[in-house]
Amino acid sequence: MTEVAVAESRPRAFAPAEIARSIRRLPLHLTVWVVMAIWLVPTLGLIVNSFRSVQDMGHAGWWTTLFPPHGLTLDSYERVLSTPNVATSLVNSLLITIPATVIQVTIATMAGYGFAWMKFRGRDFFFLVIVGLMVVPIQMTLIPVLRLFAATGLAGSFVAVWLAHTGYGLPFQVYLLRNAIGGLPREVFESAEIDGASHVQRFWQIAVPMSVPAIASLVIFVFIGVWNDLLVALTFMGSSPNRPLTVVITGLVTSLGGGWQFLTAAAVLQMALPLAVFLFLQRYFVRGISSGAVKG
Amino acid sequence: MDSRILTAVGAVVGIPLILGGYLYLTERLLAAASLRTQARIRPYVWVVPAVSFATIFMVLPTLNTIVLSFQDKTSTRWVGLDNYIFFFTNSETINSLKNNLLWLVFFTGFVVIGGLLIAVVFDRIRYETLAKTAVFLPLPISAVAASIIWKFMYDYQPPGQVQTGTLNAVIGTLGFSPVAWLINSTTNNPALIFVGIWTATGFAMVIISASLKAISSELLEAARLDGANELQVLRLIITPLLMPTLTVVATTMVITALKVFDIVYVLTAGAYGTDVIARQLFARLANADYGRGGAVGVVLLIAVIPLLLLNIRRFRQQEEIR
Amino acid sequence: MAPSVVRFPPRVLVFVVSAVLVVGACSSAGSPSTSGGAPAPAASQAAASGATGSAATGQVGGQVTVWTAWGGNELKAFQAVLKPFTDKTGIQVLATTVRDFSQLAINVDAGTPLPDIAGPPNPDKIPEWAQKGIMKPLEEILGADGWAAYSKDTNPALLTIGVVDGKHYLEMVKTQVKGLQWYNTKVFTGTPPKTYDELLAIKPPSGAKLTCVGLESGDASGWPGTDMLANIVMRQSGPDVYTSWYQGKQPWNSPEIKAAYQLFGKFVSEADVYGGPNTVLSTNFGRAGKPLFADPPGCMFLEQATFIPSFFLEDYPNLKPKDDFDFFPDPSINSQFDGNIEGFWDSFVAYNDTPQSRALMQYMSTAEAQQIWVDAGGTLAALKTITKYPDPIFAHAAQVAADAKNILPTAGDQMPADMQHAFWKSTLDFTNDQSQLDTILAHLDEVRAASYTTQ
Repeated sequence: MTEVAVAESRPRAFAPAEIARSIRRLPLHLTVWVVMAIWLVPTLGLIVNSFRSVQDMGHAGWWTTLFPPHGLTLDSYERVLSTPNVATSLVNSLLITIPATVIQVTIATMAGYGFAWMKFRGRDFFFLVIVGLMVVPIQMTLIPVLRLFAATGLAGSFVAVWLAHTGYGLPFQVYLLRNAIGGLPREVFESAEIDGASHVQRFWQIAVPMSVPAIASLVIFVFIGVWNDLLVALTFMGSSPNRPLTVVITGLVTSLGGGWQFLTAAAVLQMALPLAVFLFLQRYFVRGISSGAVKG
Repeated sequence: MDSRILTAVGAVVGIPLILGGYLYLTERLLAAASLRTQARIRPYVWVVPAVSFATIFMVLPTLNTIVLSFQDKTSTRWVGLDNYIFFFTNSETINSLKNNLLWLVFFTGFVVIGGLLIAVVFDRIRYETLAKTAVFLPLPISAVAASIIWKFMYDYQPPGQVQTGTLNAVIGTLGFSPVAWLINSTTNNPALIFVGIWTATGFAMVIISASLKAISSELLEAARLDGANELQVLRLIITPLLMPTLTVVATTMVITALKVFDIVYVLTAGAYGTDVIARQLFARLANADYGRGGAVGVVLLIAVIPLLLLNIRRFRQQEEIR
Repeated sequence: MAPSVVRFPPRVLVFVVSAVLVVGACSSAGSPSTSGGAPAPAASQAAASGATGSAATGQVGGQVTVWTAWGGNELKAFQAVLKPFTDKTGIQVLATTVRDFSQLAINVDAGTPLPDIAGPPNPDKIPEWAQKGIMKPLEEILGADGWAAYSKDTNPALLTIGVVDGKHYLEMVKTQVKGLQWYNTKVFTGTPPKTYDELLAIKPPSGAKLTCVGLESGDASGWPGTDMLANIVMRQSGPDVYTSWYQGKQPWNSPEIKAAYQLFGKFVSEADVYGGPNTVLSTNFGRAGKPLFADPPGCMFLEQATFIPSFFLEDYPNLKPKDDFDFFPDPSINSQFDGNIEGFWDSFVAYNDTPQSRALMQYMSTAEAQQIWVDAGGTLAALKTITKYPDPIFAHAAQVAADAKNILPTAGDQMPADMQHAFWKSTLDFTNDQSQLDTILAHLDEVRAASYTTQ
């Protein structure tokens, strides 16, 4: 397999051809910036507000902070970070999220390969059942699953939460991965099979490396989903002292909603890690890992 | 504390290894059988973990739900189709069905098309990661945080007062009087759907972008050299090649539209004609009305069947092509 | 490439086996599944080895889990209340903020461990849970002495709630009074009106409206409106109609309820409310009072409960209670129904009978605990015997509560969840378009028919 990397030749910056090219691409860049602005402005509002006092937020919009007096304060952050248990809850969130992500992605990748490249009786039926299950509202499943955990003595443990997340997340993950792995060129697998590679080898040495972008995107989504989850954690770990971050954040506001300004800081802190994961995994969204594989 | 970390590390390291070991052991066992038997049994080995999880966590509870949907509130009497009749005749639920239809069409449409266009356009610029991060940013935001963001965006102050909401401030500088975006029945559904689009487009973009990268750049360059403009490249090359991925994204978005809950719940609580099925379900379950709640769940399942049929056709097509 | 038979290097096999052993060892050796699941067995072990006497006097040790809707400053106040308790008894209180009480119902239905102490379920579940023994009766939990003291010193109206077969299940911990008209002392300087008609006749200064109302509250939007309606119903039609109403026996389109909506409608009409209906619907209840203190003022009165001052202070931190703002209770409509006020409370229910949960329940009913709550501010006590309120506003409110003939529960809270949600929404729909009243009431009756069936 030769890797074909994209190599854009870079002509000299101020040559007439380059300037003309830039002007032609102006609408493109304009569109990009407009889109970015639409998407960023709401979140920017949240981030700026997390540095403002609740009085300011009530009196004027967040953009007024850009002009003096700026009125920035770290109060919300101080409050969030000084909440009892916030550090341990962060660790708990990690202990819930990372194993859950690993478990789900590995099982889903195996199943994705199986559904994509193996023929067996009932394949389409099983697959459609799995996809159809995506529509089932999670609330309808909580009690039966909880009973099962109670019967097996797992209720309240980390294992219960990992398994629950896996069970609820697999339908979409299998769906996505089957599509990604199934879209790989047949020729590559066939030539490997002719060369005597087993399914395990074809899976591990061909399917997985070639679907890295899809797997990476899945890791991002699963991580976010589990990291931000409140319902599953509360239901399956309710009375346990091992509370994740989301539960502690709920405790920042009074039952009437007082103290909501702290939620702005909490939200910014909470989204930092998934964002970091996203940025870290960007390296896997590179063209060239699989393109040109057919030419091999 | 130590034992938890140990368990977590054990899981992170152990599960992939256990699965690997599981495949290895089954291969060894299968080696004893004929090649044909191996080919027949091996697929089940690979999909059994996923199918088992799905069965335990979703299939069995769903069967339970279907049973409950034919019973009364306390799950003691059978009431036949009463819950379904209620669902289709009650004015509130009919209204929510209509709203879900709006979501289905507009939310799915904008997210899929928007995600595609954004993925394609961003692919062509040098600062791609920066741009993609901007669109991705709404995804890690929890529902609680998103509600705060959009309350600020849509905030309404009486005409003549300082507008604290971004949208009303903007139209205020353009000379218009403030709009109660979430209250006004013309604007509220679109406003909510826009929040959904804002959140989900990043999701579509990430998935489509991953598949986009798999398209050989030589193919695209060749087409451009042949004189195809960007729109033609998009229409004639990229879209057909991405059809399977677009189907996945569209299917997922349709299901999301059917299940939309958080946005509506937190911003309008389903009032002013914005209610959706999932919020109705939530209300039923909060009242421990598992009968009516179950009926809602079953209706969702039935609603998704056409989608599944579409997917079957896609798979068959994909298999023929490759 | 590789030969046709799968060959894993022996190293991998070693990894696999050791991984299995590691995971297996972790699961059995003190992993969360054994330590986090049920505090009750651990607690009872501690109790067996520790002191057996009255928990309030000796060191008992152990743990008690509490689920509460409190968060933020409420939670901080709760921690302050708990400190003397923990110091005295050595019992560790594990408080988790859980807003969605259907979590409790889920655990009950699934048979999984419940928290030791938590809030009560919806009123329609109370009889069932009491009879099934899910909730433990106060008479047992507080002990004979504790119960005698509690029932003697707690406001009698509070003792009528949560009673099943003569046993009490809800321990009242703190209370609020609703239906108070708040005003800026510099804007309203007259004497409090005696009737609603007088109230509606007050002329606000030019540029200001008579009332401020804010109905927005996330998924509970509309509840301030339901409080206003409840206060009207009890004064207009009396406590008997009020009680049948929340019990589902009074039709929504009956003349009494309809009249209440019509009177409520005046308070949210374009003419009388600050910013008109759109503002009412868009404004969060906590910020609705801002125009009271604006310059120039936007309105004269805000009807809210005793918990609203902390929200005033969010926007205007320098306001002084009584000097800058004060309240008078909702005036009268029909004089024969005077003396009724609407109350709201926080209550605890014991779900597990352990020495630790008994200790905490007993402690929460003592004057010592409730005084700490009161000193932290923002609430009234449940005990009649507490009279020392540092905040003059709350002292005034306590007086109002003490003088009242009847403290009626918040109507919405006493309805089944479905009905309450519909009730909340009805105030939103009504404010949005008052001409829809008959349709709205008809819909409420539909929900009533479906909701109250305990069958």
